[in-house]
Amino acid sequence: HQSENHMHLQGLDNETETPVILVSVELDNSPALAEIFSQAQGIHKDIQLIRLEVKRLCEQNSCMFHGTSTSTTERDSIGADIKARAENVLARLRDMDGTAHKLEETHGANSAVTRIARTQYACLSNGFHNAMFDYNEAEMSHRENCKAQIQRQMEIVGHEVTGEEVEEMIEKGQWNIFSDNVVTEGRTARLALSQVEKRHQELLDLESRIKSIHEIFLDIALLVEEQGSMLDSIQNNVQKTDEGIQDALFKIGRAKHVWHLCKIKLLILHFPLFFS
Amino acid sequence: CSCIRNQSFSSAEIISGVIKSVKKDGEWKVLIVDHMTTRILSSCCKMSEILAEGVTIVEDINKRREPISSLEAIYLITPSEKSVRGLIGDFKDAAFTYKAAHIFFTDTCPDALFAEIGRSRVSKFVKTLKEINVAFLPYESQVFSLDDPTTLYSFYSSQANEAKDKMLENVAEQIATLCDTLKEYPAVRYRKGPEENARLAEEVYQRLIAHKAENPSMGEGPDKARSQLIIVDRGFDPISPVLHELTFQAMAYDLLDIKQDIYSYQTTGIGNAKEKDVLLDEDDELWVQLRHMHIADVTKKVTELLRTFCESKRMCTDNANIKDLSQILKKMPQYQKELSMYSTHLHLAEACMKKFKASLDKLCEVEQDLAMGANADGEPLKDAMKSIVPVLLDNDVGAYDKIRIILLFIFHKKKGIGEENLAKLIQHANIQTDKSIIYNLQNLGCNIIGRNAGKTLPDRKERTESTYQLSRWTPIIKDIMENAIEDKLDKKQWPFIAEPAPINTTQTAVSARFGHWHKNKSPTEYRSGPRLIVFVIGGVSYSEMRCAYEVTRATDGKWEVLIGSSNILTPTSFLNDLKTLDQVPNPDP
Repeated sequence: HQSENHMHLQGLDNETETPVILVSVELDNSPALAEIFSQAQGIHKDIQLIRLEVKRLCEQNSCMFHGTSTSTTERDSIGADIKARAENVLARLRDMDGTAHKLEETHGANSAVTRIARTQYACLSNGFHNAMFDYNEAEMSHRENCKAQIQRQMEIVGHEVTGEEVEEMIEKGQWNIFSDNVVTEGRTARLALSQVEKRHQELLDLESRIKSIHEIFLDIALLVEEQGSMLDSIQNNVQKTDEGIQDALFKIGRAKHVWHLCKIKLLILHFPLFFS
Repeated sequence: CSCIRNQSFSSAEIISGVIKSVKKDGEWKVLIVDHMTTRILSSCCKMSEILAEGVTIVEDINKRREPISSLEAIYLITPSEKSVRGLIGDFKDAAFTYKAAHIFFTDTCPDALFAEIGRSRVSKFVKTLKEINVAFLPYESQVFSLDDPTTLYSFYSSQANEAKDKMLENVAEQIATLCDTLKEYPAVRYRKGPEENARLAEEVYQRLIAHKAENPSMGEGPDKARSQLIIVDRGFDPISPVLHELTFQAMAYDLLDIKQDIYSYQTTGIGNAKEKDVLLDEDDELWVQLRHMHIADVTKKVTELLRTFCESKRMCTDNANIKDLSQILKKMPQYQKELSMYSTHLHLAEACMKKFKASLDKLCEVEQDLAMGANADGEPLKDAMKSIVPVLLDNDVGAYDKIRIILLFIFHKKKGIGEENLAKLIQHANIQTDKSIIYNLQNLGCNIIGRNAGKTLPDRKERTESTYQLSRWTPIIKDIMENAIEDKLDKKQWPFIAEPAPINTTQTAVSARFGHWHKNKSPTEYRSGPRLIVFVIGGVSYSEMRCAYEVTRATDGKWEVLIGSSNILTPTSFLNDLKTLDQVPNPDP
């Protein structure tokens, strides 16, 4: 993106009667802006991809209840995908944070480009947090569904269990389903018991997926915490002062001044018609 | 350029509609606001929401700004001289502050200013020009504000002030705009007595007619004929804005330093202890649940909710309290936002109770007795002076708290007190520098120095619900709201500007509420039942806001009560406003 110099004939200089041409030099913030927007776009895309993965996971999870056989490996691979993307997003967010810091040092905290960087960073972090929260919710709701199914199947084999008991069984790893009062004969019973085993395995896999992503959740929580929730308030985002703007405007002023001094040269080079 | 000067009446989508309408994929924009629109926008949307619609930075039109000439700008501004000058200035001479301008005025732009825009260079860069109706601040789902704390002064100052007429017109226009947005065409009534009430009511009535001519759908609907708009003056209930309230929101805003709805506190999370800022608004679901509850119930409720939450996530906790929260957070970082909410409200409740226990225990008892005219057992107060003098002499009680006691004492006397007695009280309390606060209440029509029989405070409804001992007082506006809804509000004391159409008593099904109109819900989700809109001239207190919700709930959703004013009062801000009523106005800041 090239800087455009806009030239404008302001009038005649009173003393010398030479045309005065004002030039406003575009502040060179567009490359910085372009970089931020491109970084933001990349992170945004990754977050969208995480959302898509979460959707896929939900579909996989609900398949289970519609009789379609699904494999745990599918779910695990989605989980691993999400984990990898999340780590990637975290790294890119850290990069963006770094960029924002550098911009702050070069252009000042109040400069447009710094504020744009900070806002993008804050909103993307927030969006990321939400996407990962949705992932957690998807796993948690699947967990509840598995538990419920286990309960139902246990009923079928004549051994009713409460939700609490299922929790205990999961935690302690005790699956005393082959105790008294359990019907183990017959096709129905065998099917039910095999379902229970499957769901049990799923729950274990789910737990391990969640555990493996715990670190990432901690990192995200820290990220969000560092920003504070106030950054989402618009009032907080409106430009507060015009400190530092003086510097920026001065640069434009200087550019005008420089061109004013060179106006004779300029006229000859660019406006030969004036002298015809 | 394609400048379209038209009126946009999209109620539900006003702000986000504005931004969405100029959104272009892949292109970011700058949003430029002025003071009023900052507040309106901030109460309707979050930064992340407008970012999702393509806004990457929000600037203040009155500050000097860096050019960002690669981006187009959306100007969301009031059609005031100051803002229009700012707009024109951005494109003056060779300035190329932005690539193009999309202009949205919050109200009709005066012809002169509009012509100025047309004449200036900016007109070459205008891609959109629209007027939308957003002249007021939707503070809460049932509370609106005109965001102008100078109104009390304009209406009631003892100094001659030319601002009054203009202010009255502005207020009337804003109220009419509110009705327009809500598609209401209510019957206008006012409290008989102060001249301002009648004048404002008449002006609102005229404006409503004008708005209806442009927007005939106002007031459409079988039940809408029953909607009412009541104009009332602050002086009609001077007790509510002065009393110490013990419901969460009212108490917090009274006792703690909460500015612009931001509560700050120290906390430890995953990282180290730091200062945390939290916005208390309706996006915080827990706040919405707790804000009208009595403080005694709040901590209990939050602790209970937190415990339930932890149990549901299979988190073993013996004590779900403030100290454990950072531990819980480390085990379940994915629930940071929820845990953060619990943390905020536990801290907030604790802060309120701390302040209360430090100094307010005794005060509240005296205040309630004065306000009710009787003690907790129902026995009429015999010697009020005896109970207040110790408070006034107590050096640990702050000046404003003493003034509040004195005022409640005076109101308790209904007809005012003798000049000498008042002087004595002021002396006991040692508040000579602030005494104008007390005398200036006379500007609001309150009896301070009593001579002979004057207006007394209105008769109160009998209330039989059990209340906490220190929360016996009910704001007078609640009686008015209930009576208006039941069609029992006396027509002589609360006359109509124009007789309303005859009411048929058939009730229709209730649909969605005003509640989330500003949160991007679809525009068809509007309320079919009648509304009662109350406007208080000079400021509304949190306890009165609470009444709107209580009364609405009591009608089982058949009616919706909205309340609003020029601004929202805390007792401190009210006393501060009163202080300057007899002074010369400040020059424009």
